[in-house]
Amino acid sequence: MGELVGKLPVAQWVEDIVDWLTTNLSGMFNFIQTVGNKLMDGMTAGLTAIPAWMFIIGLTVLALIFSSKKLGFVFFTFIGLLFIWNQNLWADLMSTLTLVLVSSIISIVIGVPLGIWMSKKEYVARVVQPILDFMQTMPGFVYLIPAVAFFGIGVVPGVFASVIFALPPTVRMTNLGIRQVPNDLVEAADSFGSTPKQKLFKLELPLATSTILAGINQTIMLALSMVVIASMIGAPGLGRGVLSAVQNADVGKGFVNGLALVVLAIIIDRFTQKLNVSPEDKVQNGSKPWRKWAALGIFFVMIGTGFANSFVASGAKAKTLDLVYVQWDSEVASSNVLAVAMRQHGYKVNLTPLDNSIMWQSVANGQADASVSAWLPTTHSAQYNKYKDQIDLLGPNLKGATTGLVVPKYMKVNSIADLTTEANKNITGIEPGAGEMKAATKALTAYGLKSQGWQLTPASSGAMTVALGKAIKAHQDIIVTGWQPHWMFQKYDLKYLKDPKHVFGEAETINTFTRKDLKQDKPKVYKVLKNFKWTKADMEKVMLDVSNGKSVESAAKDWISKHPKQVDAWFK
Amino acid sequence: MAKVEIQHLTKIFGKRTKAALQLVHEQVPKTDILKKTGATVGVYDVNLSIEAGEIFVIMGLSGSGKSTLIRLLNRLIEPTSGSVLIDDQDVSKLNKEDLLEVRRKKMSMVFQSFGLFPQRTILENTEYGLEIQGVKPEIRRKKAEKALENANLLAFKDQYPSQLSGGMQQRVGLARALANDPEILLMDEAFSALDPLIRRDMQDELLDLQTKFQKTIIFISHDLNEALRIGDRIAIMKDGQIQQVGTGEEILTHPANDYVRAFIEDVDRSKVLTAENIMIPPIYTNIEVDGPNVALKKMRTEEVSGLVAVDRGRNFRGFVTSEDALRARKEGLPLSEVATQMPTVPKDMLVADIMPLIYDAPTPLAVVEQGRLLGVIIRGRVLEALAESAETEEK
Repeated sequence: MGELVGKLPVAQWVEDIVDWLTTNLSGMFNFIQTVGNKLMDGMTAGLTAIPAWMFIIGLTVLALIFSSKKLGFVFFTFIGLLFIWNQNLWADLMSTLTLVLVSSIISIVIGVPLGIWMSKKEYVARVVQPILDFMQTMPGFVYLIPAVAFFGIGVVPGVFASVIFALPPTVRMTNLGIRQVPNDLVEAADSFGSTPKQKLFKLELPLATSTILAGINQTIMLALSMVVIASMIGAPGLGRGVLSAVQNADVGKGFVNGLALVVLAIIIDRFTQKLNVSPEDKVQNGSKPWRKWAALGIFFVMIGTGFANSFVASGAKAKTLDLVYVQWDSEVASSNVLAVAMRQHGYKVNLTPLDNSIMWQSVANGQADASVSAWLPTTHSAQYNKYKDQIDLLGPNLKGATTGLVVPKYMKVNSIADLTTEANKNITGIEPGAGEMKAATKALTAYGLKSQGWQLTPASSGAMTVALGKAIKAHQDIIVTGWQPHWMFQKYDLKYLKDPKHVFGEAETINTFTRKDLKQDKPKVYKVLKNFKWTKADMEKVMLDVSNGKSVESAAKDWISKHPKQVDAWFK
Repeated sequence: MAKVEIQHLTKIFGKRTKAALQLVHEQVPKTDILKKTGATVGVYDVNLSIEAGEIFVIMGLSGSGKSTLIRLLNRLIEPTSGSVLIDDQDVSKLNKEDLLEVRRKKMSMVFQSFGLFPQRTILENTEYGLEIQGVKPEIRRKKAEKALENANLLAFKDQYPSQLSGGMQQRVGLARALANDPEILLMDEAFSALDPLIRRDMQDELLDLQTKFQKTIIFISHDLNEALRIGDRIAIMKDGQIQQVGTGEEILTHPANDYVRAFIEDVDRSKVLTAENIMIPPIYTNIEVDGPNVALKKMRTEEVSGLVAVDRGRNFRGFVTSEDALRARKEGLPLSEVATQMPTVPKDMLVADIMPLIYDAPTPLAVVEQGRLLGVIIRGRVLEALAESAETEEK
């Protein structure tokens, strides 16, 4: 095949289409992004403004009203939400809830009418079915890329991706439910002279309701599962905790965040199932209007308190900075130290963890203000070359950073050029998008290792350190893509393999870069970023604290309180 | 002027209708047309006129096109060609709005599987037709309740269809159709899904309704007895075509063709019917256990003047008349002393041979096999069987 046609440039076509859309519809995308962000930030703020205890009690009472017979669910709601509150995940939970609610509502608003249309028109069904199959089987990650191109980073692309991923079940089940209405009932409705609209609202939708609700339930669950994936492009919420736990191989944190998601999923699932009542059940239970009123009452009290609180809380807008970073231990340390220090000086800082390439893209597109995580000249050279015209490079904030292939000291090999069959010809890497991985791939080719069957296995920075620890415990060979500053050099006896061909470059610097017009927009913030500087030792101190179990915030606070002069110099 | 006038009405299902129509003209059978063109002939060249106020039954086996025909009348199925005139208005040429108007005002339909909406109460089901016409809630409720009252279902108005028996559900279906006060009632095998007893009751109710309301009723059935009970006129269909139209009497006495003859079971019954075919379940007394008082009580409740006597093993022992039982009570005798003999016949004896026996016998005949009682034969059943065969002989 390849010989006949050559490889079709499909990837190029898709890129061109997305580029064309991004340039030609930027006005619309920006509008959606702005409005969407405003709406969802407002919604999250409103939800967060409801005191947690009130929210928990309110939901518990609602659970009691809706399923008075099954106390298990009521208890589960109460205990589960208390647990989330106790783990300081309340704000994350509210962000996640906003994302799920908005995604689900949009999916329903688009999905139900589409399903109805499909059930009425055979040709629509024929066109839509394969599209739905495509949407459902395409891995969710794929939607993230155009989502960022269209809507930048944050919650809007998260919703966009969730909607695409979660829409199909609602459409399918609506279509199915309406098609399953028994033919003799449709005939009966017709024989009495119902208009299509009367038939739809008086017969088909009521009969299909339970099927449609099952579809909606599926949609909500899929939207929830997208929350974790969407956190890679800056969607706030519980997903971030899960993702950073994966990247840092932090079992406990991952479990707690995952558990919070499970609690939320079960609560939403049970509540949506409660909405699904057959008419016979209504007869047996007797419809109890007081239930509705009580539920509404609770709802309004909660919303009202939220409003009142947010009204009180909304003070003057402080100087803000949208800072993005990658979840490597080094960048977590620097970004958090800077954020904590700036907050102490009255700035408002939004920290968004992203995948490396998306971090660069978001600053270049002006969707984020800045990042202090650019490893130059080698590690991030690919990204830098791609975006250098669209960013403002302020210079190094840390000097003497090194990257390269790292092995435990007990291994005999000392240079990349001497590698033969160590570690099963396998190099344990980090996130595939990282600059270091590009350098490592280059190295394999440059030293002729690729032709000998050497492999570079991508993972995550956390998974890499876990694999390293495991190998050292068992005294086995292992080669990893490493860098300094990193706490692993404090913890284990490691060495760099010599790099005679300088593929990994000499010692590197970590740089600060901002979007093009930050200097005009936020001169004060710009100045702070320009002044931000610290040393390898500083950074490794913070990193070690974190790897020994301190929270990032408290490790950053400790360091700041011990280096007041250095920190004050940033704000001069 | 007839109420409903059907002219050259044809419905072909499938794609190549033109080719199929051509083949139908050439009298090619249905199955061959299906093979050649892939199109199914539902109804072909039907011409009927139905008078106001008559119950017109359309009969046929399944697949004869009768259900398609009734759906062509209110255009649940679009006709391929031909016309349906109702009060001189051609239904098949109406636009959407006028068709809705005809469906709302002139015709209502009752379905074999009742077609009740499960998510609506009985009352909401009954008022559906008025609801979609935009009738005010209190007016339509009154009308629906009146219709339910006529069907003796008012007490159930707040129940859901799933809580009612089949017969009740079909009465709701009928009430729903009547609540609209239509001029024409279309009934598609309305009673076929009910068990035989309820079916008879429903037929009687329908006849009562008809005397009260004088609607034009077009009734589909595949049951000859049902057609004969309620139909003023009957049309018999086969493969989408009408074979014969006439009163029940006309069809029974002068079947138009072999198919109709076969349909009304044109056989000499006395030559094939056996004792077993015409016997009825016996009303008996166990004379080893029952005394004369029990026997007399049984006669009163069963409204008969004699009982077949059996022993514990259901072996035939004779016959006990009411006089015998009274005598036994007076003289304190057991029933076995007073039982008299009665003629017995084997189960495979032909009706033609039973005739002379039953003519002479004072009691019914007992059908006995190896001493055990199977049933009894009474005079009425024999006459009935013979009358049916006699009718078909005088062609």
